[in-house]
Amino acid sequence: MVDVSRVQKELTECNRDREVSGVSIALHDGANISHLTGTIAGPADSPYEGGTFVIDIRLPGGYPFEPPKMQFVTKVWHPNISSQNGAICLDILKDQWSPALTLKTALLSLQALLSSPAPDDPQDAVVAQQYLRDYPTFAATARYWTEAFAKSTSTGMEEKVQKLVEMGFPEDLVRSTLKSVDGDENMALEKLCSG
Amino acid sequence: MGHSDAASPASAAAARDAKKKRGNRTAAKLKQSKLETRREQWLSGQGKDGKETKVAASPTGAGSNAGSPILASPHPPLPRRRADTRSRGSDPDDREEAGATGLEVGSSDLDSPMHSPGSDKSQGNGGARRKGFSGNGGGPSLSSGSSVWSSSRSVSDAEEEDAGCPEDDSEVLDDWEAAADALYDDDSHCHQSSVPTTPTPAPTNAAPANAARPEPIRSKTRAWAPDDIFRPQSLPSITKQASFPASIGNCWAGMGMGAAQQGILSLPLPCPICYEDLDPTDSSFRPCPCGFHLCLFCHKKILEADGRCPGCRKQYNTVSAAEGGGGPKATTVGTGQEMANIAPVRLSRSCSMGPRY
Repeated sequence: MVDVSRVQKELTECNRDREVSGVSIALHDGANISHLTGTIAGPADSPYEGGTFVIDIRLPGGYPFEPPKMQFVTKVWHPNISSQNGAICLDILKDQWSPALTLKTALLSLQALLSSPAPDDPQDAVVAQQYLRDYPTFAATARYWTEAFAKSTSTGMEEKVQKLVEMGFPEDLVRSTLKSVDGDENMALEKLCSG
Repeated sequence: MGHSDAASPASAAAARDAKKKRGNRTAAKLKQSKLETRREQWLSGQGKDGKETKVAASPTGAGSNAGSPILASPHPPLPRRRADTRSRGSDPDDREEAGATGLEVGSSDLDSPMHSPGSDKSQGNGGARRKGFSGNGGGPSLSSGSSVWSSSRSVSDAEEEDAGCPEDDSEVLDDWEAAADALYDDDSHCHQSSVPTTPTPAPTNAAPANAARPEPIRSKTRAWAPDDIFRPQSLPSITKQASFPASIGNCWAGMGMGAAQQGILSLPLPCPICYEDLDPTDSSFRPCPCGFHLCLFCHKKILEADGRCPGCRKQYNTVSAAEGGGGPKATTVGTGQEMANIAPVRLSRSCSMGPRY
């Protein structure tokens, strides 16, 4: 069973300085404390600058003695993050996890991973190849993906509602879903599709 | 004096009844004599209304019985109060308040047997005990009316304390008596030695007595106030009191001083793994040479899993084996290679167990 009190303290702790750290965590749905949603701000001086990246966090029963399962919901162009499903290759989320780490430190590590990729130990081989052989193209692609997928909050709410309604979802449901995910279009779409 | 004399037989009977309910009070006599001495000292220092006060105070039975009608018999307390007021000539408003609180105290005393008078042969003890116990308690008229006001408040304090643990009444009571005694000793000491210039011994006016008298009693409740000048002298000496039971001494030192100071100086650290506060055992538990703190529960969980220190990610087994290099390791080296495979496990167990106990 997940250590509920620890997770709750972690949430409080993490969200206390979300403005400064650029990372925040919230419950994915109100009830289940083992399913969380993290957001990290794209680090400055990187192709991800200005983007807000959403990460799906699932806490295993053994947390904090087992690492949390993290996955990018927002599509990212990065050597260590799958461009297909958002899977992350980061040692501290695998064998180098320590119970002394927290969700916040893990998210901060992801933020650091965005600013300094490790192409020698790739998750996405195509991106890693591009990073090593043609960095300018990589940077441009990454920047484009950031614009396209990580900055959905910058577009107007009405546009997003319009977009989703055009997909065939009822408008009131779209509005409430968008509100529940703080206007994140991708999150809302995922939520609408899943439920 | 006529009032108290008339009242004493009735109260004595009531006290005899109440005796059955009361536990063993061996210390009461001792306290009584102490209190007698103190009272007389104080009264002579006070010197006001010379004869009448002394007469009221010196015959123990009469003096302390004066308080008991309120407690144990339905006699109206007011006549006595008025006599008091007349004899002291102090503020009638104060008196009114004292009467009210006195009644309140009396009624609650009827409910709880522990507050009722001690016995027929130690009527004075009953009064004196209450005095020692609560800093004057239900026998307000026996030493001075001026202390009634403050003392009745401390009675309610004491009752709150007692209400918390009703099953060991007698113990608590003993402790309180001892504590009050100690405080009383200290206070009177302080008054005589360190504050001789205060208007306390002013012979003609009751107001200075009012001002000075409650102070020693109140100092019990605000013992930790930073502006309390009596604090350094009186507080440490509580634990040194010869007559003080060791248990209450420890309790005082542990709960009052220790916890308070520790709480201020060093807040308990939380375990970085489970975020629960580390207890003293956990705080001194450092299973890894990197000094990483964690609680025993989390350490056990980690040992059941991969057994690596959360701080440095090194195996607890190897690090503790290297750390605890003393005797067992030497023998391992001596016994040869084949033992080296088994030894670390054994070592780690002994090492990890070591700091716990």
